[in-house]
Amino acid sequence: MKIVGVTSCPSGVAHTYMAAEALQKAGKEKDIEVHIETQGTSGVDDELTSGQISAADFVVLSTDTSIRGTERFKGKKVVQLTTTQIIEKADALMNKLSKMA
Amino acid sequence: MAENASKKKQSWWAPAQKHLMTATGYMIPFVVAGGIIFALAVMLSGKPSVPTTGNLGKLASIGSAGLALFIPALGGYIAFSMADRPGLAPGFITAYLATQIHAGFIGGIIGGIMAGFAVKYLKKIKVPNNYRTLTTIFLYPLGGTLIASGIMVYLIGAPIANFMTFLTHFLNSLSGAAKAPLGAVLGAMVGVDMGGPINKVAYTFAQTQVDTLPFLMGGVGAAGATPPIGLGIATLIFKKKFSPEDRDAGIAALLMGTMGITEGAIPFATADPLRVIPANTIGAAVACLSGFMFGCLNHAPWGGLIVLPVVDNRWGYIAAVALGSAVVALIVGFAKKPYVAETPAEEKAEADDDDIDFDIQQF
Repeated sequence: MKIVGVTSCPSGVAHTYMAAEALQKAGKEKDIEVHIETQGTSGVDDELTSGQISAADFVVLSTDTSIRGTERFKGKKVVQLTTTQIIEKADALMNKLSKMA
Repeated sequence: MAENASKKKQSWWAPAQKHLMTATGYMIPFVVAGGIIFALAVMLSGKPSVPTTGNLGKLASIGSAGLALFIPALGGYIAFSMADRPGLAPGFITAYLATQIHAGFIGGIIGGIMAGFAVKYLKKIKVPNNYRTLTTIFLYPLGGTLIASGIMVYLIGAPIANFMTFLTHFLNSLSGAAKAPLGAVLGAMVGVDMGGPINKVAYTFAQTQVDTLPFLMGGVGAAGATPPIGLGIATLIFKKKFSPEDRDAGIAALLMGTMGITEGAIPFATADPLRVIPANTIGAAVACLSGFMFGCLNHAPWGGLIVLPVVDNRWGYIAAVALGSAVVALIVGFAKKPYVAETPAEEKAEADDDDIDFDIQQF
C-alpha cells in the first residue's frame, strides 16, 4: 500500500513535522510506502510529485490550517485529521487504512 | 465535508479556527521582525521613549513598518484561507482600514472574515467562460474590497474601535491582583493542550496586542515555556519515574521550552495524560500569573527564555518561568508512579490498537 500526505500547523515549527514523522514511522513498521509533504514556517518541504500522488491509495491531510494545493488530490481518497490525532494515532490509522485497501 | 456527531457540535468553530490559525502562521513573522526590531531600538536608546531621530530612529522605523503590517497580514490571510487567492487583496485592504480607524486586531480579524465571505460568495456567481478573466481580474478584488471595506468603514469600524479602546484601557488599568484572574486563565489555556488550538487562542490574544499591551506576552511567553521545561526538570530530578526514552525526551523538552516551543511537552502528555496535563495547566497558570504580577513586559510575540533580550524586568520573567516549571516538575514527580519496563506483550497490544475514527472523503 502507498500513502501520501500533507501536514501543516499554525506556528509551523513542531506539530507539522511531528505529524509527518509519526506517519513515516508508522508506515515503516508496516511496510507501507509513505510520502509526506510538510508546509511549515520555512515553506514547503518534500513536495509530493504527481507520480507519488497518482500511485497513492490514500491521502492524509492535516486540518489545523488550510493546506495549500489540495486540488492536486482530485479524485483521491482523502482522510482529514488534526495533527494531534495523527501524532497520537498514526499506528491505528495505518492499521485501519491497510485493512481498507 | 463528511461530519460525525462530535464534529457537528463545532461545525462553525472548527473551520473558523482553521482560517484564524492559518492567518496567524503568516502573521507571526511580521510581528517577530517588527516587534523585536522596534523593542531593540527602544532598548538601545536607553530611554523609556521611542527614538525618533538618528540611526536608532531609523531602526525604530524598520520595526514600526513590521508592526504596521501585521494586522493587515492577519486579515489578508484569513480571507486567503477562506476564499483562496482572490481573497488576499480584499482581506489585506479591509484589515488595513481596520487598523487605520483603530479597530485593532479584532477589527482585522472581522475584516478578514468579511472579505473572505464576500469573495467566497462572489465566486458563486456563474459567468460564461468568456468572461472568466473579467471576474478574476475585476469582480473579485473590486467587489470583495468594496463590500468588506465598505461594511468596515461605514458600519462596524467605529463600534469595534470603541470596543478596542475600552478593552485596551480596561486591560491596562488592571493592576496588581486585578490581573490575577486573567493571568490564571490565559496561562491555563497555554498549558492545557501544549501548542494545540486552546493554546493558540491564548497566544493569538497576546500576540496581536504585543505592541499595545506587552504585559500579556510577558505572562503568556513565560507560561509557554513552562510545561516542557518543568517536565525536563522532572526527568532529571525524578529519574526513577521515567522510562529511558522519556529521559532522552526530557533533554529535548528542556531545549524546546527554552526556545518557547510548548509542543515539547506533548510526548509526556500522550504517555501519561491524566498526570501530565493537569500539571502543565497549573504550572503554566502559575507562570503567567507570576509574569503579570512581576510586571514583566515581553516585546516579542513569542515565549521561552530566548526572548529575554527584549523583556523588561528579566529577573521577574525568569522567576515566573522557574516558578511555573517547579510546579510542573513537582506535581508530575510526586503524582507519577515509579517506571516499570513494559512487557513486550503489552506493547504489542498497544500497537494493534485500532481506536481511531475517521471518514474517507472522495476529493
